[in-house]
Amino acid sequence: MHKYILRRLLYLIPVMFGVSLVVFTMMYFTPGDPARIMLGESAPAEAVEDLREELGLNDHFVIQYGNWLKDLIFNGDIGSSYRTRRPVSDEIIDRFPTTLRLAAAGVAVSVVVGVPIGIISATKQYSFLDNASMFTALLGVSMPNFWLAMLLIIQFSVNWDLLPSSGLDSPISYILPAITLGTSSAATIARMTRSSMLEVIRQDYIRTARAKGQVESVITNRHALKNALIPIITVIGLQFGALLGGAVLTESVFSIPGVGRLMVDSIGARDFPVVQGGVLFIAIAFSLINLLVDILYAFVDPRIKSQYK
Amino acid sequence: MLVGLIGPLSLALTACETRSSNELTNRLVVAQASDATSLDPQGANDVHSALVNTQIFETLVIKDDNSQILPGLAERWELLDDGLTYEFYLRENVYFHNGEEFTATDVEFTFLRALDSPHVAHILGQVDPNGIKVINDYKIQIATLEPNAPFLQHLAHSSAAIMNRTAVTESGEQVGQNPVGTGPFQFEYWLDGEYVQLKRYEKYYGEKPAYKELMIKVITDNTNRTLALKTGEVDITFNLPTSDVNMVEKNEHLRLFRLANFITHHIGFNLTKEPFNNVLVRQAINYAVNASQIIEDVLNGVGEVATSPISSNVWGARADLAGYEFNLEKAKKLMLEAGYENGFSASILTANTGISPDIVFNVVNQLSKIGIEINIRQLEWGSFIESISGNDHEMYMMGWSCVTGDADYGLYSLFHSSQGPKAGNRTFFADDRVDELLDLARSTININERLEAYYEVQEIIVEEAPWLYLVTGETLVGARANVRGFRINPGGHHKFASVYFQ
Repeated sequence: MHKYILRRLLYLIPVMFGVSLVVFTMMYFTPGDPARIMLGESAPAEAVEDLREELGLNDHFVIQYGNWLKDLIFNGDIGSSYRTRRPVSDEIIDRFPTTLRLAAAGVAVSVVVGVPIGIISATKQYSFLDNASMFTALLGVSMPNFWLAMLLIIQFSVNWDLLPSSGLDSPISYILPAITLGTSSAATIARMTRSSMLEVIRQDYIRTARAKGQVESVITNRHALKNALIPIITVIGLQFGALLGGAVLTESVFSIPGVGRLMVDSIGARDFPVVQGGVLFIAIAFSLINLLVDILYAFVDPRIKSQYK
Repeated sequence: MLVGLIGPLSLALTACETRSSNELTNRLVVAQASDATSLDPQGANDVHSALVNTQIFETLVIKDDNSQILPGLAERWELLDDGLTYEFYLRENVYFHNGEEFTATDVEFTFLRALDSPHVAHILGQVDPNGIKVINDYKIQIATLEPNAPFLQHLAHSSAAIMNRTAVTESGEQVGQNPVGTGPFQFEYWLDGEYVQLKRYEKYYGEKPAYKELMIKVITDNTNRTLALKTGEVDITFNLPTSDVNMVEKNEHLRLFRLANFITHHIGFNLTKEPFNNVLVRQAINYAVNASQIIEDVLNGVGEVATSPISSNVWGARADLAGYEFNLEKAKKLMLEAGYENGFSASILTANTGISPDIVFNVVNQLSKIGIEINIRQLEWGSFIESISGNDHEMYMMGWSCVTGDADYGLYSLFHSSQGPKAGNRTFFADDRVDELLDLARSTININERLEAYYEVQEIIVEEAPWLYLVTGETLVGARANVRGFRINPGGHHKFASVYFQ
């Protein structure tokens, strides 16, 4: 299995190269001059030109990309933000732990809420509980993120004065953002859990276990759930990856300085190095999560483990 | 946009909440919509960075409410006979936050450094690098390349803040994160994207703040920011949306500060494109649009009708021009005279944020009454600026802020024929008499001559109507009712040192 992991890690390199080239090209051709945006529309044209020279914006596309690659490979430097002049790595690393914690909290909420609902729906299919759960799941997926965030703030922060409305000063600050993030993920996970469980419950070995007199709860939680886990873990992994990419709307409403907001602000300001570095970082994080999920498969299903050579 | 609708509705439903104010903890908390980008006054000129830097740094001179120049770090000054060089006598016994004494070498260092920074070129670009002479520790001469009448006004701008040579040299690349100034507040900590924490500078030479800590917080969402004010988490909030005015005024725990700022919201015409090359058409459009209605309907009563390209609180502005009163008949007559009685179609570009799109929708609606069909294109900010930097645009919606409070800044880049669209003249306006007057007003230091020149310039520019004159803006600030001593600075450089609780 170690060779498998190593191989997967090596695959990251061409992927990163491809991602960086695509992002660079997109940013290069997007209208909007970083220098002009930074200096404001009242700045004299010479000042804008000076700044463009300073940032190397007048160089040819190939030269700019080449310089960036060179700095990355030989100096381990992914550049500095045009706006703050801080190293891009600092900008991202400042914010990544926050995003990581937020994503983890969101996933935790979605798993804790989604999986049990999915199980109950599956075991009591077509009952009122099942229909109600699926309806709630539909609501959860359809609700706009920021709207839910606003409602939660108004109720818990303003009316009941229980939880903070912005920032991340204390552990309880994570509650409202986590609920906001977790809600739509919970819905997706609930539905996936339900359909996966339904498939498994119809299997012969479940009927056998029941025939042998096994307790229903053990059948559900050990036999059925464990076999249904693969698609569920996949979805959880995807959700986590998506949240790591930054839950921009939630971050904006709660004023949480995460990677998502950094990316959106940087794109708006055409802060190329930050966008470049940020997308690369998110791509790596996402790939690593996928790898982790694949490894988890091996532990959940021994048949898969043997395939990893 | 959706949030904009939900916000006021939600706020209307909430009960009025208060928590114990920050008064008890001896600190002031203010909130703005974005984080500062750099705490190097020469490294960024956006309003969010300026708000923080204004507390930490000081300038050689300052301005009072009437744009009169007063002593700052310089006690007095005189213009030498060459008409180019100012000699400044500096205040003694002033110390930077790192303990070093403020001397002329710091001033020399600051201005030489400024010449390399594109961010402050529009403020300090006129300084002659060979004209900076340190006479002694407390006396320095600074010369401009050409006679420059608004120079002192520029020196009062926060981008001209004096920095400490030792501190800047030591910080190297980190200078934007380690500000050292002479101001009443000292930098403590910057939690990136969340807040900047400042504390009272105990060795400040002037009147010290009444409270110990100042926190400048970032709350990006409009509704959330106003909510934080309601709950008392925040004492003063900036970037207050016009839709919150009524709520803040009616709330007994809050108070509203409002003051005319230096922004003129307008729609510019590209004079090289038909039919905007016809002055009658431009005037017709000005008569056809009811700006008061825009202020009532779109801006919730915030702002004044613009009768000049610069707002009336700018030095040199005329408040007596009649402008274009709303007169649909006259507009139709002018359109007929110009040969367009059936109207025409055109396109307008606008940024997709702020009040611009709403104003544009209203204007387009009004202009349809004289037969002008306008196609609206909304663009993201960066793309918008790019789109009006060439010669493709026909009409565009813009707000120009005359940040120095001096007429030169609000007129030269916009209307002098030497300035192209990238510099600010996006209408391609070119008038010999205006050029002559603007050049004269910029170089003469005779105040009456300057005023006369600007008076005539404004009359011509209003008459020629390269713009549809709309609204001059108001800065809206919400605060807790116990906040006193706060004054809005029309340029956005609000100082918190004078604030106290009651």
